[in-house]
Amino acid sequence: MVTEIPRAAVCAAGEPPAHADTLRADADLMDDCARRLLGTAAMLTACPAAPRWSGPALARQAAACTTAARQLRAAAEALSPPTRAGA
Amino acid sequence: MRADGHAPGRPARDGQDTRDDQDTRDLLRRCARDVVDVAEDIRAVAERTGAALFAPPPVATGPRRRPRSALAARWALLRALTGKQGLGGPAIVAPKGMGQVLGALGREGLAALVAVTSLRLRIAAVLVDHPEFVRDPGMRRLMEAVTTDDDPEAARALRALFRDRGAQRALSGLAPVMAELFAVRALLHQDPAESGTARALAAGPELPAGPRATSAPGPAGPDRGEGSAEAVDLTDQEKQVIATEGSVLGFLRNIEALSAGGRVLVQNVRGPDGVVRYVVQAPGTAPGRPRDDCPQDFAAVWRNLFTTDSPHTRSVLLALRDHGIPRGADLALIGHGEGGVAVMNLAQDEEFCRTFRVTHVVAVGSPVAGRKPADPRTWVAGITNRHDVLSVRDGLGAGSAFGPHPNWYEVDYTGPAHEFPRCHMLHEYIEHLRTVVPEAREDVDEALTSYRGPIVRTQAYRLKDRANPPEGHPFLTVPTASLPTTAGPVDVPVRYYDSSAAHLCFPVDAGAAGSLLPAATWPAPGRLGRRALAVLSLYEHRCTTIGPHTEIALSVLVDDLWRPRRYDAVTDLLRRADLRRTGRFVVSAAVTGEEARAVAKEIWGRPAMRMTADADLMGREIGVRSPDLGLTVEGRLGPGVRCPEADWILYGRRGENTVRTLVRTHGRRRLHSGAGLRLRLETAAAEPFAGQLRRLGIDTARPLFVLNCPRFMARRGAGAVLPR
Repeated sequence: MVTEIPRAAVCAAGEPPAHADTLRADADLMDDCARRLLGTAAMLTACPAAPRWSGPALARQAAACTTAARQLRAAAEALSPPTRAGA
Repeated sequence: MRADGHAPGRPARDGQDTRDDQDTRDLLRRCARDVVDVAEDIRAVAERTGAALFAPPPVATGPRRRPRSALAARWALLRALTGKQGLGGPAIVAPKGMGQVLGALGREGLAALVAVTSLRLRIAAVLVDHPEFVRDPGMRRLMEAVTTDDDPEAARALRALFRDRGAQRALSGLAPVMAELFAVRALLHQDPAESGTARALAAGPELPAGPRATSAPGPAGPDRGEGSAEAVDLTDQEKQVIATEGSVLGFLRNIEALSAGGRVLVQNVRGPDGVVRYVVQAPGTAPGRPRDDCPQDFAAVWRNLFTTDSPHTRSVLLALRDHGIPRGADLALIGHGEGGVAVMNLAQDEEFCRTFRVTHVVAVGSPVAGRKPADPRTWVAGITNRHDVLSVRDGLGAGSAFGPHPNWYEVDYTGPAHEFPRCHMLHEYIEHLRTVVPEAREDVDEALTSYRGPIVRTQAYRLKDRANPPEGHPFLTVPTASLPTTAGPVDVPVRYYDSSAAHLCFPVDAGAAGSLLPAATWPAPGRLGRRALAVLSLYEHRCTTIGPHTEIALSVLVDDLWRPRRYDAVTDLLRRADLRRTGRFVVSAAVTGEEARAVAKEIWGRPAMRMTADADLMGREIGVRSPDLGLTVEGRLGPGVRCPEADWILYGRRGENTVRTLVRTHGRRRLHSGAGLRLRLETAAAEPFAGQLRRLGIDTARPLFVLNCPRFMARRGAGAVLPR
């Protein structure tokens, strides 16, 4: 019989999935970056004298931030121990 | 008015336009700051993700590891870090070698792209107020790199620009966008410490005092080069201008007299109480003039500006030591531009303030707002023109509450002249202190009462940097001699440190060419077959010993004076320039600077005149426009082939004699077809240029070929007077 050991147990003592927590926090930070860039884009779009390229450029970069946030969360999930059903 | 500044001929501003522009500028600056903060956050996220990727795997304490899960985790991290749609770049924090491997993916990270956007916004903000700044050589190169809709391409172009040693001088003059330039450079070079340095230097009023503390943090420290100072004599002309009584205008005029030549002045003043005090007067770097050190890196130049441990500040200290100022003596430090920053550095140096008693600091047109001297008793005056784009530190404008300092006197006024670089020039500040803000002059003079007395000793010191070669070394490190002109003494050979040129060559009728030459038996146009060769030379001189200027010259290829032979012009190409007999006789010349005009006419014997002109000769699209001459040359250079470097022999006429001038050049030259260039005459006037161009038939012709030098250095000698 093979006993499946929860992933948490294979981590070194005193080292909870810190990277996973950091990645989740960074994912939230990337979402915040996306919001800030979109906010800046909106301000510039509302200004008639602002450069025309600024809105689309900032929107593109905000989308990249959102994608990065999603990827960081996926990485955090991959680093986290799997939850055992009915354990 | 577009925020990117493409309106050089904009009409006069009324109050509403000014307020709208101010709102737009403030918005763009705010957005640029916000966006660079986002770039920093993204960089930090990428750094932590990279750390997680390369962290050692956790030690297994159970009976079995799950290698597949670990691999999946690594893959997810790698994807997050380098995913093209996300953070998208090479890992920043990686073991040696891994960064390069991942960097071979060749993508620019998201942080760098966002920083580039911040830089573009900042440029747009600067150009709202100063559209003329778009003509600044550094700004032109920067805009060439960033004005593309493709963000990664802009980042790549910037990376190439930062590596271009020839661009460093131009970039170091971009004070208004320096913080963003640093941030972008740090992210492109993956050096986070440098970004922090930039933001501290460019925006922080809390720069700590003392030499050790002001050293730039992190690995990107200040240049440890060794400064030096050499006592030099003033010229007779300068002695006539140097003040003999202490006053703020007198000291500033001294600085203006010394601005060309990398010198500082130290004067002993006997105060009203009979005590001898000392005044140090430091000019800034004159725009378009050479410096005594080679600007190896714009980041280093800018960093050194704000540290007391820089070669420049050490040189000033050596000058003071050489002057023999006794310990504890009263000292007033006065500077303009970079000189103001240098004296402020000294006033923030605790050790310096323990050695001498710095009683006053007066910084004119310098970004020193918010900097506190080491001695709280030091009286500091900062005088800035609101239009002076080089003297304003980001976030610190008129009346900004940067922190009270009891002995701080700030004058932030609106000068009448708006355009750059005029608004930064010291003679403008002197004039404004006389006419626009005379009360400020009175206040500063009153504060300097103890320095208002007869000057008992004056000594100039030339500052040098032993660690870095002088600009243009070794090609432009040559002996010089001073020749008098109506514009003042000029050192010859005249040295050109950063120039571009396009020589448009036209086959013309030999008789027409001959009719433009002086009425004498010589010179005669050199013939290529039945035709002569006329050359319309367009120059953009960005940094010379006679100041920056644009030059347009029309010349004709001429034969040897004494023994003209067929095909001399061709065989001469195989000879050294100093052994050539043929050359080009300059029949017309026009320049945009008074000093250049005087030198061309009085030393080289050319019929030179003043004009206004805009030139852009650095890229493949070249253009020169002169409304005064009614002349426009523009177009695109086609494919070209490399040519050997060309030294020229130029002839002129001074009185009854011919003057032969040897021009040595050093720079890459290419030969292009002239098909892509067009010349337009927009004047019906016959003189000065238009008539000659029409007589040669050049006004309707395209050049046969073009010799183009996008960047070169040159030396033009004094000219030898020939017996004919």
